[in-house]
Amino acid sequence: MDDFLTVIALIVSLNAVICLYRAAVGPTTQDRLLGVNIVGTKTLVVVVLITFIQAESFFLDVAMVYALLLFVVTVALSRYLEAEGWKEAG
Amino acid sequence: MTGSSDVRKKALLACILFAFWVIFTATVALYDLVLGAICSAFVAALTVALLGRALDPRITPMVLLRLPVFMVRLVWEIIKANYDVAKIILNPRLPIDPRIVEYRTYLPDDLPRTVFSDSITLTPGTVTVELEGDVLNVHCLCPYHEEGLAGLEKLVAWLFGVKRDG
Amino acid sequence: MAKDIVAGVLCCVGTFFFLLGTTGLLRMPDIFTRLHPSTKCDTLGACSIIIGLAVYSGWSWEMPKLVVIACFLLLSSATCGHAIGRSALRRDIGYWRRKGTEVEDGDGA
Repeated sequence: MDDFLTVIALIVSLNAVICLYRAAVGPTTQDRLLGVNIVGTKTLVVVVLITFIQAESFFLDVAMVYALLLFVVTVALSRYLEAEGWKEAG
Repeated sequence: MTGSSDVRKKALLACILFAFWVIFTATVALYDLVLGAICSAFVAALTVALLGRALDPRITPMVLLRLPVFMVRLVWEIIKANYDVAKIILNPRLPIDPRIVEYRTYLPDDLPRTVFSDSITLTPGTVTVELEGDVLNVHCLCPYHEEGLAGLEKLVAWLFGVKRDG
Repeated sequence: MAKDIVAGVLCCVGTFFFLLGTTGLLRMPDIFTRLHPSTKCDTLGACSIIIGLAVYSGWSWEMPKLVVIACFLLLSSATCGHAIGRSALRRDIGYWRRKGTEVEDGDGA
């Protein structure tokens, strides 16, 4: 089962790397934010998988904090981006 | 009146905090339980002004009883939504015709509306992009996706026991 | 044993939906359409992997934590999608229309 979970974690990480394309290229800032959010969700799942691969339950607490931080970051940044007078960079 | 409801709110908040304490510390040793009870009572007394807003008066025991049924229906909708989106994404022609529609909801108060807009986001081909008063701006992937909204609204209305008037 | 099979199937389903979400994120033409695969497929993918692991862990202290994470993800990813969509709408980022349908734009009518 450990090998199986490792393979799943590898596939999910590869997915996250592909999603970074959207975060790097995305035409608008919102696209980048969305890309970062998706990469964050995938990282969260990888952290949860590592809990079981390494059999260390404290990684779950890391995952929990990661989920909370991801939510706060996304909402705060999108609130910041919707403010008036903010210019698109580049 | 205000005093007793405040105490009830504090007790409820302390119970919720204590449940999370038990889940997160992952032990049931007496020392941890006592420490957790003291901490959650203390935190509940301090933050009732802040977290008390989360205890919406709309959350009644009936709502909590209906919640599992609602969750099962919602998960079923999510699975259908994913099948739908999967078909669209894997189609080489990408058959989408997106548009933003306005939807006026009859659900009262913030909480039912929030639940409704979150459910919309998780169901087939629709994403709520703005919620202003009782008007939702919903981005639909295909025009026929719009038809699912009324049924979902009914489901949320059933969850909160809201009757449609007029 | 049956537990392992259920967990394995749920993990595979989750990975499949993650792949689907990535494909959608790369293929869709604009920000609003990208929100669809990212909110739906990512939520289901993450939740099904996490629930699969909860099944795998059985009756241990990991299970309630995993369930809490899954419930939180269910709430937060929908709200994140909403927040990003709203900021795109407020910044007046025009949304993609199929060619030929721009004319009959009747403001939601």
